[in-house]
Amino acid sequence: MELIIGGAYQGKLEYALKHYGLTGADVFDCRDFSFEGGAKPDFSKKILYHFEAYVLACMRAGVSPLEWLPEEAIVISDDIFCGVVPIDTEIRAWREECGRTLTAIAARSSSVTRIFCGLPARIK
Amino acid sequence: MIIYVSGGCKNGKSSHAEDWAIRLSGGKPLYYIATMIPHDDEDRARIRRHIESRAGKNFITIERGMDIAGVIPELDAGGTYLMDSVTALLGNEMFHDGIIDADAADRTVRDLKALTGSVANIVFVSDFIYADQGLYDEFTDGYLQGLAHIDRSMAEIADCVVEIVLAQPIIYKGSLPE
Repeated sequence: MELIIGGAYQGKLEYALKHYGLTGADVFDCRDFSFEGGAKPDFSKKILYHFEAYVLACMRAGVSPLEWLPEEAIVISDDIFCGVVPIDTEIRAWREECGRTLTAIAARSSSVTRIFCGLPARIK
Repeated sequence: MIIYVSGGCKNGKSSHAEDWAIRLSGGKPLYYIATMIPHDDEDRARIRRHIESRAGKNFITIERGMDIAGVIPELDAGGTYLMDSVTALLGNEMFHDGIIDADAADRTVRDLKALTGSVANIVFVSDFIYADQGLYDEFTDGYLQGLAHIDRSMAEIADCVVEIVLAQPIIYKGSLPE
């Protein structure tokens, strides 16, 4: 497992594609996914992109974001947990669930990389 | 040399940037490009604090909140410049005369690249505003995307890229001036 985090629009996906020599075909964009109609996430892709959106989908469906997570994947997530505590109950819970989930993923990852202005810093 | 500085608010970016600009100048003229156009007393107080912090550091202040390209012909090719901040510049370029200028970020990248090519050294100060839960309206989100585009474009050509966290520099690229 490898984890890439960073603020919005910092170039995380561009970095991952280049660093691992992958293409758009290797990317599962979690923003396009919901559990509606019994759908399951396609975690056969190498890159799980916008994982923070998957965490929200999981919360809405009442499942754990770690449940279907494969042993090997490149997880990319926006760092959404540094701002002011949101007033909205669901967004507030989402922010916390992202922090917990990504900390758990970081623990089982062989590398954690933070992207800042398009540049990587390996923090694990 | 180009140094690109970003980080959270009130974390000491400007003060470090000033020190690095002074080291880069090697005693040659030092200029400060102030990009904030004050709109209220809070802005004026912020500008006053920045002026006080620069006092005695021999910066020649150039107030330029928009159209950086227009000031380039007047610049000192041997001078060292500090621009504080890219964030305010993009705000002015993007939101003016009651319109949202969609070309602002691309134009600012062009202007800043032209600026770097016209002076001996330059230090840019930007702001790291990308790590909350987002979900902004399209104008705010467009501004975030625009500033990130400038940050990444300039970080690519910068000799040194540094994040300031609680006044501690974290270097992502290159090295800081001795």
